[in-house]
Amino acid sequence: MLEKTGIATEQDLAGIMPPKERLAQGPVAVIECFQRIPCNPCYTACKRGAIQEFEDINDRPVIDVDKCNGCGICISNCPGLSIFVIDETYSDTEALVKIPYEFLPLPEEGTFITALDREGKAVCRAKVHKVLNSKAQDKTPVVSLIVPKEFSMVVRCFSIDDFYSDNTIICRCEEITLGQVRELIRKGYRSLDEIKRISRAGMGPCQGRTCRQLIMQEIAAATGVKMGEQRMSTFRPPAKPIKLGALLGGDDHE
Amino acid sequence: MKKTEIVVVGGGPAGLSAAINAASLGAKVTVFDRNSQLGGQLVKQTHMFFGSQKQYASIRGVDIADILTNELMKYKDNIEIHTDSTVIGMYEDGMLTVEQDGKYMKIKPQSVIVTTGASEKFLTFPNNDLPGIYGAGAVQTLMNVYGVAPGDSVLMIGAGNIGLIVSYQLMQAGIKVKAIIDAAPKIGGYLVHASKIRRMGVPIMTSYTVKYAHGTEKLEKVTIWRLDEKWQPMPGTELDIEADVMCISVGLSPLAELLWQIGCDMKFVPELGGHVPVRNEELETSMKGIYVAGDVAGVEEASAAMVEGRLAGLCAAKNLGYTSDQFDALKADYLDQLNALRSGPVGEKIRKGLDQLVG
Amino acid sequence: MRIEEHPILSFKKGPKVRFTFDGKTYEGYEDEPIAAALHAAGVRTLGHSHKLGRPRGFYCAIGNCSSCLMVVNGEPNVRVCVEKLKDGMVVETQKGKGDLR
Ligand SMILES: Cc1cc2nc3c(=O)[nH]c(=O)nc-3n(C[C@H](O)[C@H](O)[C@H](O)COP(=O)(O)OP(=O)(O)OC[C@H]3O[C@@H](n4cnc5c(N)ncnc54)[C@H](O)[C@@H]3O)c2cc1C
Ligand code: SF4
Ligand code: SF4
Repeated sequence: MLEKTGIATEQDLAGIMPPKERLAQGPVAVIECFQRIPCNPCYTACKRGAIQEFEDINDRPVIDVDKCNGCGICISNCPGLSIFVIDETYSDTEALVKIPYEFLPLPEEGTFITALDREGKAVCRAKVHKVLNSKAQDKTPVVSLIVPKEFSMVVRCFSIDDFYSDNTIICRCEEITLGQVRELIRKGYRSLDEIKRISRAGMGPCQGRTCRQLIMQEIAAATGVKMGEQRMSTFRPPAKPIKLGALLGGDDHE
Repeated sequence: MKKTEIVVVGGGPAGLSAAINAASLGAKVTVFDRNSQLGGQLVKQTHMFFGSQKQYASIRGVDIADILTNELMKYKDNIEIHTDSTVIGMYEDGMLTVEQDGKYMKIKPQSVIVTTGASEKFLTFPNNDLPGIYGAGAVQTLMNVYGVAPGDSVLMIGAGNIGLIVSYQLMQAGIKVKAIIDAAPKIGGYLVHASKIRRMGVPIMTSYTVKYAHGTEKLEKVTIWRLDEKWQPMPGTELDIEADVMCISVGLSPLAELLWQIGCDMKFVPELGGHVPVRNEELETSMKGIYVAGDVAGVEEASAAMVEGRLAGLCAAKNLGYTSDQFDALKADYLDQLNALRSGPVGEKIRKGLDQLVG
Repeated sequence: MRIEEHPILSFKKGPKVRFTFDGKTYEGYEDEPIAAALHAAGVRTLGHSHKLGRPRGFYCAIGNCSSCLMVVNGEPNVRVCVEKLKDGMVVETQKGKGDLR
């Protein structure tokens, strides 16, 4: 619940989600300001009159998505840093998410970062499209990220560290990197089991508990096959490492 | 002994606004502040403020301090500013004593506007005096005024606006915030502040309090535990959090010692942070010529503090014969602004508190 | 630890100066509070309480709480969270309540 955790719920979001038809037309602001507080700079910042005038300064902002052209001017003017611009027309599969970011270091355009959700959990790898940091932003830079479309209403922050870089170890038991897994996917290995057999990722003592999800995410990113629709790997006993002696049925001989 | 017409005690947003209005009307004004820099709490705020344009919304606190100071300088013929100067006594005959650089000074104005702000509340738990356990104001002063990191990893106590904002500022300074905990079941601060911290991965844990602070020479670890609906700790819910700094921001109470000294009627109003002076609509206390504005009159926000300061400055000057034909219009506008700021759900507490002061 | 870069603020610092704390030499910036210079050098514990001998650091950092009393240039009961640092200062931990002078 938002009031207890600071994380907006599906229900909160349902009330502010721009209609699908509008998203299909180009960039639009999404205002995640759910509480009545004495504040109205979003209204004064928008030169297109897309944010309705506040009758009472405590009103919640109301946006007219048809007047909003997604210019993003309001993003840096909102003291709550609660305005984002979403552009689902960036490409067939990707969307742009514009995020206010007041931390150092700023990411560089063209580099990869780790996109985070409203809880700060890693969602996916994202490329930095643009960093706006001029006088108009007045020290609240706006970073636009390229993310898979299904994450456009999920990604709301990022970590400058590229958790999903090629050098990142994905299977700690066998020390397989993400780069190696990506290379295998490129070569045509398309299921968890295939990748496991060829690379040994997931065959170490933890039995794939750390890398399974990550590999499936990579397959999803590369092939578009959602994680729920991929074939799971085969599970064989034992479900935890045991000493060979235990299998002999006798005493433990070391 | 020095003479002046109006003394403003405190150069925060309330004091600066009061001084601007009184001086612009022609009164001779002297401002004292114990800090070396004017601006009060504003100089430590790196975030954009809420409110509307009239209260400089969307401008950062530090920058508002500069705007107000520059505006004040427009009337420099009527203004005298003393920084590093603490008002230590206020007497019934209207005399003030001030300490400046280890020297004492007396001054007798015709009117005083007290805008001393508020002081921080503290919390009781075993070992709460270990080095590394700091008030939120101390953490802010250290990192935002002097550029010194208070530590490596911080546990924040209090999810009101100050706890949330100081957590955000700690992250801006490159310091890890382990968690924000609060005994209340709900986040007290603005949810937009909470969300912008949460999405950086910092957990906000409501219904939690401190059980024990660990460390020999300085803080090393904190044990927290959960509270049930009756605010009673629940054994078995303990969690250990390693941190070398615990930052306490559990509320403010008005810094009203001078008003007590001079004998103003005071009333205990928990909604306003503790004992506050009884005053009329023009912010004059029960003592003639003694006005209040800002957090000392009830802990609120800088936006309201600035409007109150303008109102107190306007009315104190008028009482000394400095007025303009705009008086009624200005006064009505300030009262309207205050009403608007306090009209929503977050202003409910303030409204309840102020209701108790009337009559 | 000093904050070297900040997204919003830039810190105005005085010239570098040297001072000693319990005989050891430290560096700080002129006119910053002594406590800030010590903290930046990693010193958190500024003294011990006079009754129970409990470690003490500063608490409020604005001269309200008197948790940070030290001996500066021979003078006891100096609140180092507000006392400005000068070149060559001799800062010592205070034992007891200090003598009245
Ligand atoms: C972390 C934090 C974040 C905040 N964020 C916001 C925000 O986003 N929006 C908002 O509107 N408000 C915000 N506030 C609240 C706001 O800062 C205060 O409400 C406001 O500063 C109160 O103004 P004031 O002038 O009454 O007091 P202060 O700003 O506290 O100023 C009082 C001044 O009086 C001086 N003084 C005290 N006693 C004496 C004495 N005896 N002699 C001489 N001088 C003295 C002090 O040194 C100080 O400079 C925030 C506060 C904090 C701590
Ligand atoms: S994105 Fe531009 S047009 Fe849309 S609400 Fe913000 S300022 Fe107005
Ligand atoms: S400016 Fe931001 S925080 Fe203020 S009302 Fe608008 S959206 Fe909400």
